[in-house]
Amino acid sequence: MANVRSQKAEKVIGRMKMKVNRQMASSLLACVHCGMCTQSCHYVLANPDDPTYAPAYKADKIRKIFKRHVDWTGRVFPWWVSAKSLYTDEDLEELKDTVFGKCTNCRRCSVNCPMGVDYGVFNRMARGALVSVGVMPEGVAVVSKDQWETGNQMGVLKEDYIETLEWLSEELQEELEDESAVIPIDKQNADLVYSINPREVKYDPRTISDAAKIFHTAGANWTMPSEGWDMTNFGLFSGYNELGGSVARRLYEKVEALNGKKLIISECGHGYRSTRCEGPNWAGRDVKFEMESSVITMLRYIREGRIKVDKSRNPEPVTFHDSCNNARSCGLTEEPRELLRLVCEDFREMLPNRAENYCCTGGGGAMSMSEYTPRRLKSGKIKADQLKATGAKVVVTSCHNCVDGLSDLIRHYKLGMDVAQLVNLVANALVLEKRAVVVPEPVVAPSVTEELPLAGRRIVVADDEPDFAEFVAMVLQDAGAEVFTAHNADTAMELARKEKPDLLTLDLQMPGKTGDKVFVEMRTDPELKKVPVCIITGQPEMRALIYDRSVPPPEGYMDKPVREDQILFNVKKILKIPHHDPDDG
Amino acid sequence: MSGTLSFAQYTLQEVALIWMATVYAIRIWWLTRFTAAKERQAPTGTGSAKPTRSIAYSLGNVAMPWAMESTRKRPLYYFQFVLFHLGVVAAISLSFLIPYAPAPWLEPQAVQILFRVLIGGAFVVGMIRIYNRVSDKHMRAISTPDDYFSLILLTVWFFFAFLAAPNDLSRGEGILITFFCLTAFFLVYVPFSKISHYIYYPFTRYYLGKTMGRRGVFPMTRSKPVS
Repeated sequence: MANVRSQKAEKVIGRMKMKVNRQMASSLLACVHCGMCTQSCHYVLANPDDPTYAPAYKADKIRKIFKRHVDWTGRVFPWWVSAKSLYTDEDLEELKDTVFGKCTNCRRCSVNCPMGVDYGVFNRMARGALVSVGVMPEGVAVVSKDQWETGNQMGVLKEDYIETLEWLSEELQEELEDESAVIPIDKQNADLVYSINPREVKYDPRTISDAAKIFHTAGANWTMPSEGWDMTNFGLFSGYNELGGSVARRLYEKVEALNGKKLIISECGHGYRSTRCEGPNWAGRDVKFEMESSVITMLRYIREGRIKVDKSRNPEPVTFHDSCNNARSCGLTEEPRELLRLVCEDFREMLPNRAENYCCTGGGGAMSMSEYTPRRLKSGKIKADQLKATGAKVVVTSCHNCVDGLSDLIRHYKLGMDVAQLVNLVANALVLEKRAVVVPEPVVAPSVTEELPLAGRRIVVADDEPDFAEFVAMVLQDAGAEVFTAHNADTAMELARKEKPDLLTLDLQMPGKTGDKVFVEMRTDPELKKVPVCIITGQPEMRALIYDRSVPPPEGYMDKPVREDQILFNVKKILKIPHHDPDDG
Repeated sequence: MSGTLSFAQYTLQEVALIWMATVYAIRIWWLTRFTAAKERQAPTGTGSAKPTRSIAYSLGNVAMPWAMESTRKRPLYYFQFVLFHLGVVAAISLSFLIPYAPAPWLEPQAVQILFRVLIGGAFVVGMIRIYNRVSDKHMRAISTPDDYFSLILLTVWFFFAFLAAPNDLSRGEGILITFFCLTAFFLVYVPFSKISHYIYYPFTRYYLGKTMGRRGVFPMTRSKPVS
C-alpha cells in the first residue's frame, strides 16, 4: 500500500520538520527553478546529459518533502507544486543517493544562485535526517562511529597517537640537533594548542613534524593535547549536529583544561570550518579563546620575522587549490596565496579560483563513500582540466580531504603532478641557523645498501591489484627492502610463514579469503602474531572489520590512494627507522 | 466607461489587492515563526567585511551581474532577466496608472512607446522562457505545473498589457477588461505560486549575506588571473 509510511520515513520527516530553521525555510521557498545554478556544479559539467545532477533538481528532492509536510500550498495542492512525501525505505535510499552521492555540499551553486538559495545548508540537514535513522553510506557510518567512540574519526588509539608524537619528537631532535626540539604534550598555559587531522597520525606524520619544526624555529610556546586533538568533525559531513557538537565540545574543553590561549587548526578545510565556524553553533556554546588556521599562523611568523624562508628551495611551478570549506564557507583565500608567494618561486593561479574554485570532488565526506567513487572520478574531469591548464608540477592545498581527492584525480587522469600542503612547503623553505654552520664531514663512500633506509628489511606486499602491488613493491625495493608480493590471501600467508618478514602490507579486499580474515589469522598464529601489519585499503568502511576485532590492532593503516612518500614514512614509522629528509643532507 | 470596465479596474482590483496583501502578511508571519539560527562564531576572513556591507552586497546582488559567475558568463540571460522584470514593473504600473493617474500621464506618445517597448520586450522574453523550459531537459526536469502555468500566465498578461497600454477606449473595452481581469486573477494567484519569490528574496539574501559576511566570503572576491 503506497500510503503506508515506514517507521524510518516517518522519523526522517519528523526530524526534517524539526530541523528546518528560518534560513532553510526561506531557501526552500524561494527557488524559482530558473536553472542559473545548473552550470555551476561540477557534477553537471561532467555529466551534461543527466539532469538529475542539476542543483535545483537535487534540492527539489528535499523541497518536495518540505512542501508536502510544511508549506501549505504543497499540503493543499501537492500535484501543482510537485510536493511529494517519503513512504518506503526505498524512498530513503533514493534520497540518500542524491544527498550523499550527488553533492559534495561545496556551495558553489549557493554563491551562484540569484535568489540566494543556500542548497548546501539544507542538503546537509537532509543528510542528518537520514543519518538519524541509520540510512547513510557505509563509510559515513564507520567513520562517525569511530569519532563517537574514540574521539577521532580514524579510530587512532591514544597510545598510537602519543607514540607517534614521541617518535616524531626524537626525529626532530635528531634533525635539528637540538634537545629542546620536542613536541610538547599537554603543556599547561601554552600560547598555542595545535590540533590536527587524524590522517596526519595515520599516514602523513610528516605534516606534524613539519609543523613542529616551524613552531620550534619560531620559538612558539605551544603544545599538542593528548586527547581532544582531532579538529576534524564528521558531523559536518553526516549532517548530524549532535555528533558535530560533541566533537567540537571535546576540543574546546581540552583547550580550556590546558588553559591554552589560542587553538591552532592544522590545514584541513572541513576541520577549519567545523572547529572555527560551525562548532560553537553545534555545541551551543560560546568559545572564549581564539581559533586560527595554521596557514595564518605561519604567515604571521614570516611577517614578524620569527621564521625565515628561502623560496628558492621550492623552485617547481605550483598552483593552489581552494578547499570549498576554506574558501566558500570561511573566507580563507588570500592568506594561503600570500604565503605561497613567500615560499615558492613559481606560483600560478588556476582558473577559476578563490570562492569560485571547483570542488576537488572529495569534499562532503565523499572520500569515505567508496560506493560513489566512479561517479566522483567522472565528475573530477572538471578539476583535472583546471589543474592541467596551469602547467604546474605541484598542486598545493590547505585541506587533507583535498589532498586525497586531488591525488586520486591526478592518478586517474594521469596528470603527473604532486600534491602538497603549505606546511610542507614552508618547512622545506625554512632557513635554519644550524644549516649555515654545518661543516661537511669527510665523505666516506658508503655502499648503496648502507644508505638505503629499508636495507636488510623483508616485506610481504599482499594486494590483488597487480599494478598497485607492483607500485608498493617498487617503492619499498627502491628504499632497499627485499619484497615479496602476493595477489591472494593464501599466497600472503604462505609467504609470511616462509619468509618471516619484518612487515606485511595487507589489502582488505582480496579474492578468496579477505584481508581481515588473513589479519585475524596472523594475529592468532603463534608464529606470525608478532609480524607487524600495515593495512592498505581503498575501502575505508572496512576499517571497522579490523578495529572491531578482539586481536591487537594493526601497526599501520593507510587509505588508498597513497603516495610514495606516505608509504615510506609509514613503513619507517612501523619499523621504527629514523626518517631523514634527503634535502637536509 | 461601462460598468463592467469600471468594476474590473476598480472594485475587482481593490479586492484582489487586499486578498494578496492579506495572504502575503500571513505567509511572512508564518515564515518568521521558524526559528532563526543563532550565530556564535567569531568572524573569519580578512576583517574587511562588515555585516551591513555583506548584507547590502547580498541584497544588491541582483543588480550586479558581474558578481556571480552564473550571470557574468551569460550576459544575454541577464539582459532577459532585466527586461522581463522591467516588463512586470511596467505592467503593474499600468494597472494603477490607467484607473488612478490623471489622464495626461499616459497621453504622450513617448510614454506609450516606453510602456510598449518594456512590456513587449518582456512578452518576447516570456516566449523565449517558455521555449527554454519546454525544450531544455535540465529545465524540464526541474519544472512543476506551477512553473509552466506562472510563466504562461505572465506572458499572456504581458500580451494584454501591451495592447492595453495606449488606454484607447475608441477600439472598445474588451482589451482593458481582459487586462484588468487577468491582473486580478494574477494578484489572487501570485501568493500561492512561485511568482511570490520576491517576498522571500529579502529573507534568503539577508541570511546568506549575514552568514557569508561573517565568514569573510561576501563581498565575494572574483577569480583573479595570476599577475
